[in-house]
Amino acid sequence: MTVLTTKNLNEKLEPYIAIIGPLAMIFLIMGFMGVVEPARYFRLSNLNIILMEAALYLPMAMAMTFVITQRGIDLSIGSVAALTAIIMAFLIKVYAFPAWVGVLCALTIGSLFGLLNGLIITKFKVPDLIGTLAMDLVYRGFALVLAKGLVLARFPDLITDIGRGRLPNFLPIPVLIGIATFVLGYFLLKRTFFGRYSIAIGSNPEAAEMTGISVDRYKVYAYMLMGAMAGLAGVMLTGKLNAVQATSAPYFNLHVIAAVVVGGTSLFGGRAAMLGSFAGVLLLSMMINALVTLRIEFFWQSVASGVVIILSVAFYTWLQKKDRDGAKGIKAVFASPDNLKLFKLVGVISAVLIVLLAIGNLTSGTPAVSG
Amino acid sequence: MVNEKPIISMKKINKRFGGVKALESVNLEAYSGEVLAIVGDNGAGKSTLIKVLTGVYQPTDGTIEMDGKDLVMNSHSDAIEKGIDAVYQTLALADHLDAASNMFLGAELSKKFAGISYLDNEKMRSEAERVLKERLGVVLKNMDAPAESLSGGQRQAIAIARAVYHSDLRVLVMDEPTAALGPQETARTLKLIDTLKAQGLAIILISHSLDDVFEVSDRIHVMRRGKCAGVVKTNETDKQEVLGLIVGANKQAA
Repeated sequence: MTVLTTKNLNEKLEPYIAIIGPLAMIFLIMGFMGVVEPARYFRLSNLNIILMEAALYLPMAMAMTFVITQRGIDLSIGSVAALTAIIMAFLIKVYAFPAWVGVLCALTIGSLFGLLNGLIITKFKVPDLIGTLAMDLVYRGFALVLAKGLVLARFPDLITDIGRGRLPNFLPIPVLIGIATFVLGYFLLKRTFFGRYSIAIGSNPEAAEMTGISVDRYKVYAYMLMGAMAGLAGVMLTGKLNAVQATSAPYFNLHVIAAVVVGGTSLFGGRAAMLGSFAGVLLLSMMINALVTLRIEFFWQSVASGVVIILSVAFYTWLQKKDRDGAKGIKAVFASPDNLKLFKLVGVISAVLIVLLAIGNLTSGTPAVSG
Repeated sequence: MVNEKPIISMKKINKRFGGVKALESVNLEAYSGEVLAIVGDNGAGKSTLIKVLTGVYQPTDGTIEMDGKDLVMNSHSDAIEKGIDAVYQTLALADHLDAASNMFLGAELSKKFAGISYLDNEKMRSEAERVLKERLGVVLKNMDAPAESLSGGQRQAIAIARAVYHSDLRVLVMDEPTAALGPQETARTLKLIDTLKAQGLAIILISHSLDDVFEVSDRIHVMRRGKCAGVVKTNETDKQEVLGLIVGANKQAA
């Protein structure tokens, strides 16, 4: 009889760590803002802003959870969202399509772009990172070509309802759409072949192949779902602003990836955390809203997203390291000759920079007026 | 020998890859309720031989018979259909999935509700629990635990359970099942082999460990340079003789 006996606290916590992490950070932010800016942060109107901001990213985070679980990545979603929104805008404004047809077109075109991404990755064997990054340029380029710098505005009610409508005495419609996509995502992950195979493919691609799973096909499905959800985000964004232009949605990629990764889905594949992604989106929205509430410049947003990605990946990697040895402490780091060399390198570069700045400062004249 | 007639008999199997003769006129017979060990040096043709047996490779010439009838296999799935399956050293488990999901990977059970079919996780789980217990005598304390947290022996059991469940399994090939295991886990795996043997399966065990081979096998088939260097009964031989056959120190006809 083989019986699993060892089960320490770490193992017991492991299934929940994905949800505990972001929740802890959400409470941290709430606590911090509760002390610093309680009046403005916890206003009902501000909570509404947070939810509306989160809603836009929820569908994409759901789909990205599958893509990343399969060890993939999609860096083209911002451009897919912008291009599908522009195409939809043209269909509605120029060709006078009914709004509902326009919305369905956006979803279909989005999934078509996703399908294209998937085929480029699986059939042409272009690595996902490069493939989707290049396609990001392509989609963005087409959006610029189509819109020619125009801002298309004033859409039918259906579009604005999707983007910023609200059921009376209830949640805003985009929030409901976001939650609905996550219910769908949870079902897909737990109860469908697609979800099961996504985990298997990310966990052990060779094993998945050996057991007869069509790895390429399920990868294409994930990118298609991603494209469709990016298209949906494009519609929601258009409705929210009641306007769209070719340069819309610039930070979607990293924002969504940050949300998924901070939620505990592993970039190394196999570990999917659907609820974690939900919490991750909420967390990022709260964080960005906190930056705004504290009157910190908008441009710090992208700094914050990047730092969150690095910290959460580093944290989860550290968590998974089984032979963690904390006993030696910081001294051990400098005992290794390799680390010592890296440390010296940091020193040399810093020194060179300081010397250069000093030279520049000593030899500087009066600044010329630019322009 | 439990049965008079072999389940599987491979006759004069040749396999060439271009000019390289990987197998030369190899005969092999496997009987129900018997453990046949295949031993040999690296490159002796063990892997090629079992790949022919499991339908992964097609022999250049020679025939394979099952129950005395000709058997033609064009792919590994043909072999599985006929009740021949293999468990490889690299166990083909998805580390992040639990035992039941792994056992049913690629062949999940599903049910339908309102025209939508979805995975029947409950049924898969109870079936997995049943097969592990009844056929392999293995009880997992936590069926929800991902495979990565299970021991080598438990992972082995899941891989075998997959083979046992999905076909009317008659011949099980095990490629280096104990290679990555500690002494305790090795003992468990050997016990598992005994359990399966008692159920009437023909087990073909490929191993580098003569200790393991002498502990569980009934006959030993020695491969050397693509040829069969000899087939000996385990209880009529010793390690010295088998080693001699492996390195070609003494000549003995098959």
